[in-house]
Amino acid sequence: MHGHSRREFLQMGASLAAALGLGQKQAIALADGLERLAEQKTRVLWLQGMSCSGCSVSFLNTDTPDPVEVLTEMISLVFHQTISATQGTQAMETLSKAVDEGNYCLVVEGAIPLTMQNACTIGGKPLATLLPPILRNAQAVVAAGTCAAFGGIPAAEGNATGAASVKECMEKAGIPVAKRLINCPGCPVHPQTLVATLAYVANKRFPDVDPVLLTPTAFYRHSVHDECPRFHYWEKHEFAEKFGDEGCLFKLGCLGPLSHTNCPRRQWNSGVNWCIRAGAPCIGCTNEQFAKKKDFPFYRKGEQYHAVEYQEQDRKGPKDET
Amino acid sequence: MIGTVSISPLTRIEGHLAIHASTEPAGTGDEQGFRVSEARCEGEMYRGFEQILVGRDPMDAQQITQRICGVCPVSHGIASVQAQEMAYGIHPTRNGRLLQNLILAANYLQSHILHFYHLAALDFVDVTAVLAYEGVDRTLQALKTWVATSLARKDVFPAAPFLPRFEAEYVKDADRNIALLAHYVQALEMRRVCHEMGAIFGARLPHTTALVPGGCTQVPTMAGILEYQSRLKRVLGFIEATYLPDLLEVAKEFPDYFEMGVGYNNYLCYGVFPMDDGYTDRFLRPGVVMDGAWEALDPSAIREDVAQSRYANAAPKHPSQGESQPQANKSDAYSWIKAPRYKGSPMEVGPLARVMANYLSPKDSFVKAEVDAFLSQVELPAEKLRSVLGRHVARGLETKWIARQAFRWLDELQIDEPPTRDFELPKTGSGVGLTEAPRGALGHWLAIKDYRIERYQCVVPTTWNCSPRDSAGKPGPVEKALEGTKVRDEAQPIEVGRVVRSFDPCLACAVH
Repeated sequence: MHGHSRREFLQMGASLAAALGLGQKQAIALADGLERLAEQKTRVLWLQGMSCSGCSVSFLNTDTPDPVEVLTEMISLVFHQTISATQGTQAMETLSKAVDEGNYCLVVEGAIPLTMQNACTIGGKPLATLLPPILRNAQAVVAAGTCAAFGGIPAAEGNATGAASVKECMEKAGIPVAKRLINCPGCPVHPQTLVATLAYVANKRFPDVDPVLLTPTAFYRHSVHDECPRFHYWEKHEFAEKFGDEGCLFKLGCLGPLSHTNCPRRQWNSGVNWCIRAGAPCIGCTNEQFAKKKDFPFYRKGEQYHAVEYQEQDRKGPKDET
Repeated sequence: MIGTVSISPLTRIEGHLAIHASTEPAGTGDEQGFRVSEARCEGEMYRGFEQILVGRDPMDAQQITQRICGVCPVSHGIASVQAQEMAYGIHPTRNGRLLQNLILAANYLQSHILHFYHLAALDFVDVTAVLAYEGVDRTLQALKTWVATSLARKDVFPAAPFLPRFEAEYVKDADRNIALLAHYVQALEMRRVCHEMGAIFGARLPHTTALVPGGCTQVPTMAGILEYQSRLKRVLGFIEATYLPDLLEVAKEFPDYFEMGVGYNNYLCYGVFPMDDGYTDRFLRPGVVMDGAWEALDPSAIREDVAQSRYANAAPKHPSQGESQPQANKSDAYSWIKAPRYKGSPMEVGPLARVMANYLSPKDSFVKAEVDAFLSQVELPAEKLRSVLGRHVARGLETKWIARQAFRWLDELQIDEPPTRDFELPKTGSGVGLTEAPRGALGHWLAIKDYRIERYQCVVPTTWNCSPRDSAGKPGPVEKALEGTKVRDEAQPIEVGRVVRSFDPCLACAVH
């Protein structure tokens, strides 16, 4: 529908209104709608692998724009396991038709079991074999959340499934990742980060990304520590001793120095709160290594009792301001 | 003549579930269609949380286990901190208990609202009715334009993700459909507001970081209490003026569904929302209903059977001794879900189970008066609650009760008192966290050795509800509830989806 003039949209609106038995006012509204839809709709397929659906739930927490605006004005969400009305064979047919048509953006939520392939199937088919052709045909791929971006908890030490990130899955299938894959980590992904990334894709643009992590620099450039509202306590060496205390949360286990994300500015859930403001140490949920090592616990209370796999410096990150 | 019906994947639930059923002709003469003779629930995803947890610092568990499920993370967090609190020998401070209740309450409200409007309603509401909308509401006008234009243009995927869908009987009245659609949109905002409430004390949702053994890291402030309260008023208004009336409208239009999806008469409830600092009483109390008769809960009577599940064969074990050795290609298994049994019986869990356990309890409870008032309003006997619509009704009523109760917990918060209790990590220890997730009874069993997790087992609501057959060949509760379901069109078995969704399955939970 690209390349039509305003006059043509008005004509289409009028004939559509006539077909539906509607009046002149409706015809103009329909023309506006047609024009907007023709310009902006990018097809999006959303697949869940080994996920908890937390990133889908987080996506629904978007406030401006709200989810209905995203679904009706920004993108065309052709398939989503939790939201779609369709189900069963009809759902699988919709999915394969969309893949054949091409011209879509793929959102992946969750990790992909590359060794124990039965550990995640959709419609009876292993995701590890279902996914590569869908990745190959996609114009852009958004890995939503830390599981899809870096493997996350399903890929943590001790897992039996060979859970892998989207990047590993693409590399294994020989699909180029450059200018195609965008990693949006976070456990869950921040709704505004995901929606803004989709806005880039919907407008046929590719955001600036970190060359190694493939995370959009607009959202993942700075660490929580760099922009922390409790940074002044860190500088003054005033540390919280127990949960609920004022002070820098580093000695309780805060991983702000290792977590690159815009939480300090964006905050969470329409800006009502976020981890540090609530006195909760950052657990580093956007970090590549999030939750991966058994000997790298979130909290430091236990480190006096059992062996850990880090030095003080490892928790401070590459830069040490003290 | 035996036919088959499959919904694979079953969408609009959490996670990866397939339903396979055998059908037979429903009858002769005028009665058309088919009837489900046997059904199977297949859990299609496995991550292995229990192995990932072994050897970790015990405090990691409340963060890791929240990631079992993004729809009910707070419940896993609560079960985990309760198991830890038992192992550490503490209870939270009063503020800690109240804050945990308030974060959990907020997530209950969002989960139940999401389930009715965004997961279940599209089985009943006709989205295309918006084409007849003549009013001035901006959102409905925009929806109408969107559906109309994408249909008229013959888009490859018009009005996705609301179309395509099964062609079936939906609500007939256009105005009622339009109202329900408007509420679908409004409910998106309401569930977001519920998550804002949870985040006011829980830092953020999903996956709260503020929950810790001993309470909550967020100090209660006057501003926070007011912010929560103001939102709670709006949400309670929505529940009373919109959600419950909508539920009754759907019930009026589909009265058959008070007869369908009956299932076993076995219900299990661990109880949820501790009401006192000694943790002796719960807002919704524990209880068991076995073949219609109430009895007290005995957690030692739980066993997990893996005869037809994809795990190495072993005699059924209590979760405190449980194992989860995956066996992806086990020949006689058809699901990743284990088969938990109570005294050897499959048990239904969830809002209906909570209502039944409290309604039939010999103890006096507000639940009795509330349920009786509802039943007399709709002129139905109590046994009709054992049905698809009964599950929706139980969920709706419970949503209202929890929202009202949350005001009282806000009032009890003391802004000058600490939100957590400090504790020492023990070298060895064990603990159990029994609570209720929105979808039903949730238990975490923890053992600590040398300051590390030695064993961690979770038995989760959908593990109970969507369990496969056990070593005795007894079907799980959803499998049982599907038996006898009438299906008009085997290619578009919407009735099967309605029965399964009434349980609000969460597959990431069921197999973790």
